[in-house]
Amino acid sequence: MELQIDSVSMYFGGKKALSNVSLTLTPGVWSLLGANGAGKTTLMRIIAGILPPSTGRVAYNGVGIGELGGQYRAVFGYLPQEFGFDPAFTAEEYLCYLAALKGVPEKLARQRMAALFEELSLTEVRQKRIKKLSGGMKRRVGIAGALLGDPEVLVLDEPTSGLDPGERVRLRNLLARFAEGRIVLISTHIVPDVEFIASRHALIKKGKLLAVGTTEELVRQAEGLVWRCRIPAGAVPDYERQYQIAGLQHEGDGTVSLRCLGERPSEGAEPVPPTLEDLCLLLFPKEGGRDL
Amino acid sequence: MGRILRLELKRVLKSGRSWALLAAALLLTLLMAGLPVMYCYSSVDEQGQPASLTGLASIACEKTRQAAAAGTASPERVKAAAALYRACLERYGVSQSYDLPEGVYEREILPIAPLLHGVKEAFADPDTGIAPSLMEIAPEKIDGFYAACEARLASLMEMEGNGDAAKAQALSMYGRVEKPFEVYPGFSTAAMDFQNMAGFLVLLICACIAAPVFSAGYQSGDDDILRCTRYGRGQLGAARVIAVLLVSGCTAALCGAAYLLLSNSIFGWGGTKTSIQMAYSVVTLADWNLGQLQWAFVLAGVLSVLATASLALLVSACCRSTAVSLGAALAFCLAPTVAFMALPEPLSLWLCSLLPSSGVCIQTSFLYAVTDFNFLQLGPLAVWTPYAMAGVCLVEIPLFSALAVRSYCRHKAK
Repeated sequence: MELQIDSVSMYFGGKKALSNVSLTLTPGVWSLLGANGAGKTTLMRIIAGILPPSTGRVAYNGVGIGELGGQYRAVFGYLPQEFGFDPAFTAEEYLCYLAALKGVPEKLARQRMAALFEELSLTEVRQKRIKKLSGGMKRRVGIAGALLGDPEVLVLDEPTSGLDPGERVRLRNLLARFAEGRIVLISTHIVPDVEFIASRHALIKKGKLLAVGTTEELVRQAEGLVWRCRIPAGAVPDYERQYQIAGLQHEGDGTVSLRCLGERPSEGAEPVPPTLEDLCLLLFPKEGGRDL
Repeated sequence: MGRILRLELKRVLKSGRSWALLAAALLLTLLMAGLPVMYCYSSVDEQGQPASLTGLASIACEKTRQAAAAGTASPERVKAAAALYRACLERYGVSQSYDLPEGVYEREILPIAPLLHGVKEAFADPDTGIAPSLMEIAPEKIDGFYAACEARLASLMEMEGNGDAAKAQALSMYGRVEKPFEVYPGFSTAAMDFQNMAGFLVLLICACIAAPVFSAGYQSGDDDILRCTRYGRGQLGAARVIAVLLVSGCTAALCGAAYLLLSNSIFGWGGTKTSIQMAYSVVTLADWNLGQLQWAFVLAGVLSVLATASLALLVSACCRSTAVSLGAALAFCLAPTVAFMALPEPLSLWLCSLLPSSGVCIQTSFLYAVTDFNFLQLGPLAVWTPYAMAGVCLVEIPLFSALAVRSYCRHKAK
């Protein structure tokens, strides 16, 4: 089972949103990391078949998704960045409606809905109108909808946005279990959400694929570029101007511990093992912070 | 497909907006059916004494006073009515009924007035179309009342510049109209006009239901999820179109039936047996009575509403914004009226016959087309406009529906 993205480019008017992206997704959790406007959502919409690429093609097991049509959509689950829904629907009605469109038999749909509501802590609000639910609950209804057809290919665009820390952990665990024998592609701004569950990551910048690999393979690129040092609190503004700061912690004695990226900031600085987040900050320096 | 259609219908009918619109359609229909009563007025009572009767009392009074006129409008009865009219005017020394002293018309002419309908028109000047007064028509000429009607139609078609095919078709149609005509007091042509208004309001409401069906999904992002599902393209598109057409068609039919039920209960079912020639022009081409005209109008209204809803769905499938699709759908509803008022013939006639909303539009509708003499003429072909309206709707409904599904399937997200 594989999903091939073959030399895909996308233009909006004269603007190039994706440039010759090629990537082969195999079973497991994949993350798509990139700054705002990098082209993640465009790529996901092309994979979903909502947006036809300007050039290139997306194929599932060697056959173009356009040619597969309903066959591809039957094994596909998708949660877009903006979760839209009919305001008249309750969570349960919405999933019933989706189940019919996904071709899931009614009885099976009922069983899956019950399990998903339970797993996503939605059982108590299943009869409530979606428009009256909180942002996190709406997002979870969208995730339940994407999972309802038991898809072989699951694409989630920013699934964790609006979720509280506990919900994010539960979702991570759910997706890690679900990915067994399936292709799951997640785009997120929050690197820790995918760092430990994604088997592979694709880093995208300005529409171009920068790197693809496992966490270990990718962070290797940042080895020797991540440092820890302890400096007086008053020197922090100078360091912020000169170096990229990935972390800052007050030690309580008038000094602070800094996690700096790039060249060695001082003689006393010690190299530390890089993380995926460090790499992302190095690759997308303008974005800063944990949110890319 | 059945399951998707069932859920789609449930979705449409579950929305508070849909219920509000459907309830508004029914309420406005009933209001329109009741409004003509407010304009009914009689200045004499059933015994012919001065009175001031309004509403239902006026209708009842007029029916009672004209009861003797009910029945077949044979040339003999028409002639007898014309003789009474003539005698009345001679007695008062006037040549026009509006010169009669106050109350005389109501007392003496009104009871026979239904039989006199169309006499002046039948004997209109063939060259100028100017109708003579009843006093100018020789009594013996009224023996040939129905022959005069046919001659009048021929001269009318000639005057209006119709081609040979249209003239031949008009005369052939009129030849098939059952004569002598029937007349039963109690009907109201104002109620027919209000039926037109009610139909137009239902049309607007159904267009409002149909217009956001696809565009709302595009706008909210809902569509991105649905079109990624197995049956989220052709089958969902078709289910949405069918669901809206079912809701619109049922709404139009129910409102039409409700209108006739209330209106005829008010004015009396007896009046519906009147030949339309005794209510509108005496040379009207359709071989219908008023009741048949009412139901034909309801049917034409349903077709027009369905065709307009199909067009609104097509617009919805092509527009990314609900406001744009709603605005465009409402503009299409009003287009025949605008064409009628702003464009020259024959362009306006063609548009008023071919646009989907023409069937129940203001100033141009199936009702007005039936009571008029217009033909769409193309070379040797001539089609009576009511036939054209209904026929075009029958083509437009599947055509626009199929195009709506196709546009939905081919919709490209941004």
